[in-house]
Amino acid sequence: MRAAITIARLTTQEAARRRLLIVFALLTVLLVGLSAWGFDRLAHSRHLTSGEVAVSLPQALILFMFMFSFVVGLSAVAIASPTVATELESGVALSMLTRPVRRSEVLFGKWLGLAAILGGYTAAVCALEFVVVDAVSGFLPPNPAAVFGYLYAEGLVLLTLTLLMSTRLSAMTGGVLGAACFGAAWLSGVVQALGAFFRISALVTFGKVVRIVLPTDGLWHGAVYYLEPSPYLLQRLGEGDGAGPLPFISTASPTPLYLVWVAVWVGLVLTTAWWSFSRREP
Amino acid sequence: MTTAASGGAPPLELSVAHPTAIVSPAVYASELTKLYHEVRALDGLSMTVRRGEIFGFLGPNGAGKTTAVKLLVGLARPTAGEAMVLGAPAGDLETRRRIGYLPELFRYQAWLTAREVLALHCRLLELPKRTWSADIDQSLEVVGLTERAGSKVGTFSKGMQQRLGLGVALLGAPELVFLDEPTSALDPVGRHDVREIIRALRARGTTVFLNTHLLEEAEHVCDRVLVIDRGKAIASGTVAEVVGRQKTLRIKVTGLNGLSGLNGQASSTLPPGARANYDTPWLTIEGIGEEAVPALVTELVSRGGLIEEVIPARPTLEERFLELLEDK
Repeated sequence: MRAAITIARLTTQEAARRRLLIVFALLTVLLVGLSAWGFDRLAHSRHLTSGEVAVSLPQALILFMFMFSFVVGLSAVAIASPTVATELESGVALSMLTRPVRRSEVLFGKWLGLAAILGGYTAAVCALEFVVVDAVSGFLPPNPAAVFGYLYAEGLVLLTLTLLMSTRLSAMTGGVLGAACFGAAWLSGVVQALGAFFRISALVTFGKVVRIVLPTDGLWHGAVYYLEPSPYLLQRLGEGDGAGPLPFISTASPTPLYLVWVAVWVGLVLTTAWWSFSRREP
Repeated sequence: MTTAASGGAPPLELSVAHPTAIVSPAVYASELTKLYHEVRALDGLSMTVRRGEIFGFLGPNGAGKTTAVKLLVGLARPTAGEAMVLGAPAGDLETRRRIGYLPELFRYQAWLTAREVLALHCRLLELPKRTWSADIDQSLEVVGLTERAGSKVGTFSKGMQQRLGLGVALLGAPELVFLDEPTSALDPVGRHDVREIIRALRARGTTVFLNTHLLEEAEHVCDRVLVIDRGKAIASGTVAEVVGRQKTLRIKVTGLNGLSGLNGQASSTLPPGARANYDTPWLTIEGIGEEAVPALVTELVSRGGLIEEVIPARPTLEERFLELLEDK
């Protein structure tokens, strides 16, 4: 475990030295600053009634978080895809892997370090965004901590999957594949919603299967659920079964069983990554 | 010259430091085979490296040298065969504490300083923290990087990175050091420095496994060498054994009173099989060993010869190496 912590520290140190943390900080300021301006305009618009503002604010926040979920997901892919692949290709890993450390410790250390970076970034943006939106518009989602938790879990799922790819594929290939999986899972959520709207059971089943195979979209809908305060919207647009006609609506929180499956999924993929890495010959 | 060691149980030898203790060889490999898909990188390689010796592992590019080193340090697994390092199976976690390794592809974290890279390896080796500073300083000094200790590795030349890699390999006073082409990026001064470091390692009893295709390097420092080609051992022994005994002697001599028994035929002074040819003033004798030279010189002087030069023309390791490859 000591070696894993050493590798985790090395990973976060690399992120800091390569200016990733500064970029994350600047992005946070930019995103939150722009959204503060937008929410201020929306909350104090003279063209909207107070009821329209009350309906619009949560929707605007969901849209912002939808964009941010893509930033989190793609950031997870970007930081995980080179982490093993590049070190193996460049030779940096050679002298480290001949030290008295297990491959499992190296891999877990990298996962831990990357997870810490992603967690810090997600937490910082969520906290700042909620505080700023509350300050300029008076709107606060019903469960901000749950929103953070679901967004972070979505990022962790992609991080773990891309780490697995990094043990076998080049950084470029793993990155493209990770991003494609993320996009495909999101699209399958839309397909599921359309299936529910048009009552095409095959599309609904397809969406449900994808949510199990790659649970990013299921977790996104968990975040959406805890961003929505408006029963009116749910009543108007919701279709039940956790999916509406848009990827921005969720009528139910993911079940505890689903959350357990997500934890098992991360554990399984991480174990597969260890298995793959332990057999990789640099 | 002898052929490579055959398989079987690892031979035991007496430790010099502890005459009563029986220790295993530094490296023992038996019938090591490694397949990469259809390519047979190693083909039944067997060898034994004694403790405390500098062992030259020679071969042309693509002969399987780096593959063998990767198997021995545990980066790869053999398809067949067995390898023991310091008495434990190759790759054993605890044994890695006693091993240093400079990879052929030497790259270190570009965003760390040289001192930080060494500190990272101190941590991975779990060296006592109180000794880190001294260990790192010593390592930097040995490889000549003291003045660049605080510089980022990304600013280093390839030669400096190779020096840093050597410093990393020497951390923790390892019992066995694998050096895979340790001078490939170094200038002549750097190569000389590395040879001196290797000699210093031998002096303190460290075993050095020197993987190189630079035969001059091996000829200068190695106690024994093993030559491989296409994954197979084709020769092993001391450099002198691999090169063969002195074959040719050239003597610049004038005033000889008669050449009977010397010119174009064997004489009682010359060993069996040796042949001499005199083309004034050079007397060339092929197939003569070093031990026969004094008697020959004495005979030439007794025949009135005035000897100006005696030039032993021993083939170089490179010439012998090329012969071996041609024979294969």
